[in-house]
Amino acid sequence: MENAYIAMAAGILILLASMASVEMGLSVALIEIALGVVAGNVLGLHTTPWLDFLASFAGIVLTFLAGAEVDVTLMREKLKESLLIGGISFVAPFFGAWLFCQYVLGWPVPASQLTGVALSTTSLAVVYAVLVETGLTAHPTGKLIMAATFVTDFGTAAALSLLFIRPTWWLLAFVAVSAAIIVIMPPLHRWFFTRYGQRVIEPEIKGAFAALLVLMFFAELAQSHAVLPAFILGLTVSHVFEQHRETQRRFRVVAFAFLTPFFFLKGGMNVSLRLVWANLGLLAMLFAAKQVTKLVGVYPPSIRYLSPRDAMFTTLLMSTGLTFGTISSLYGLRAGIFDQAQFSVIVTVVVLSAIVPTFIAQRWFSPREPERTAAARRRSVLVVDSPEAGDGG
Amino acid sequence: MFGKILVAFDGSEGSRRALQAGIELSKRFGSDLYTISVMEHLPHYAATVGEVKEAQAGFEAFFRDLTKRARDQAALQGVTLETVVKPGHEVETIVTYAREGGFDLMVIGFVGHSNIWGRIMGSTTQNLSRLAPCNVLIVK
Repeated sequence: MENAYIAMAAGILILLASMASVEMGLSVALIEIALGVVAGNVLGLHTTPWLDFLASFAGIVLTFLAGAEVDVTLMREKLKESLLIGGISFVAPFFGAWLFCQYVLGWPVPASQLTGVALSTTSLAVVYAVLVETGLTAHPTGKLIMAATFVTDFGTAAALSLLFIRPTWWLLAFVAVSAAIIVIMPPLHRWFFTRYGQRVIEPEIKGAFAALLVLMFFAELAQSHAVLPAFILGLTVSHVFEQHRETQRRFRVVAFAFLTPFFFLKGGMNVSLRLVWANLGLLAMLFAAKQVTKLVGVYPPSIRYLSPRDAMFTTLLMSTGLTFGTISSLYGLRAGIFDQAQFSVIVTVVVLSAIVPTFIAQRWFSPREPERTAAARRRSVLVVDSPEAGDGG
Repeated sequence: MFGKILVAFDGSEGSRRALQAGIELSKRFGSDLYTISVMEHLPHYAATVGEVKEAQAGFEAFFRDLTKRARDQAALQGVTLETVVKPGHEVETIVTYAREGGFDLMVIGFVGHSNIWGRIMGSTTQNLSRLAPCNVLIVK
């Protein structure tokens, strides 16, 4: 009965999040997190094993999608600059936040390291939406930012997978299975798609899900995390998605309709508003840690390639985060590395980092920001009644 | 008097009236006629690029159909219509395009699409009439 009640409440909240997303022009993920917070703090909903598993799987699917969204051609085109900017964009906040948590806050090493991972991220999706809106996706600055974001994402995925591994035989098995799947899947797809593709039963999507579930299983045995192989697998099949747009679209439909909502809802449900309120000082410090380390790290290399205004725009966009930050935080909570207060504060910092730097970048540093003052030239406003006004147009 | 006319066109009833007014003015003054449509509801702060791309593809399909019908409507009345679709904030994008294009008149509907932020922050029409770099005709 309780499972049915939680499933029903989650289903209704997920529907409401979609509707609110369309009405408000905001990402559905952000609203799912917000409604998750309401569910956990006001409605008293709590997670269950099935919801935990769905959320974990959704996190891996999101990572796979992030890898598949990497534009390999663009990466090659901007390799040197993106490695420099994207690499520092990962390293500076990772070490900055880690050392801050360990030596200033006195947190244990694993919690400090994982905070570094969660705050090192850059959200490609947040960046991409801004670049589309500012018409910069095909501009050199936009291309550089996207390529650098791929590098930062890779750093985050690698750190999350490698930091907490324990040297066991299962680790060898995990590495071997991951390598086999990553090597076999791309060349296998042509035969598989020809023989089994284009059917309503979706063997292509099931194939990808099966590969990700195998990765999760072996990661669990090795007491590691499957984000790195999932990201690399996505990267290696990105050209497949490029060639099969409809398959990519159906994969997204399944992921967005049934999986990712549970991930973000669960993220929100585990945030305690009471603990966030009690730790507002910590929240401010961690938010500042991310933003300052990104600024100090990313701006100097950016200015080598871009104008000061574009370099600041780049720095601010590289300071955003959402999905990988939430994945890292949920991993920390599940593995007992974070307590609920730490998790609540870090997820809040991650969400704030999606909004605040984006707003500042678009409002004050957009390369195409128009003058906001009224035009100096004389103008008039004339209101007339159209002859068609009464007939419904 | 009006060499270049720009109609803000989002497919709403108000913008369709504005388009018809623009077509009639174009015929009367021999003006070049343009419409601009803005994809303003791309999801902000998205979690996946796919969410943005799918929304973008949906809007592109919607505006492709919309602008084709607008061109057909103008052509039926003997007017050549140039249509432009851009992503971005509606007011900011239209004002920038009007300024960069050197338009003499902007024609806008009195009531168009506004999402919840638009309703809170003030209507698109109000903001366009305040910020436009040229004369503005508001069609009721």
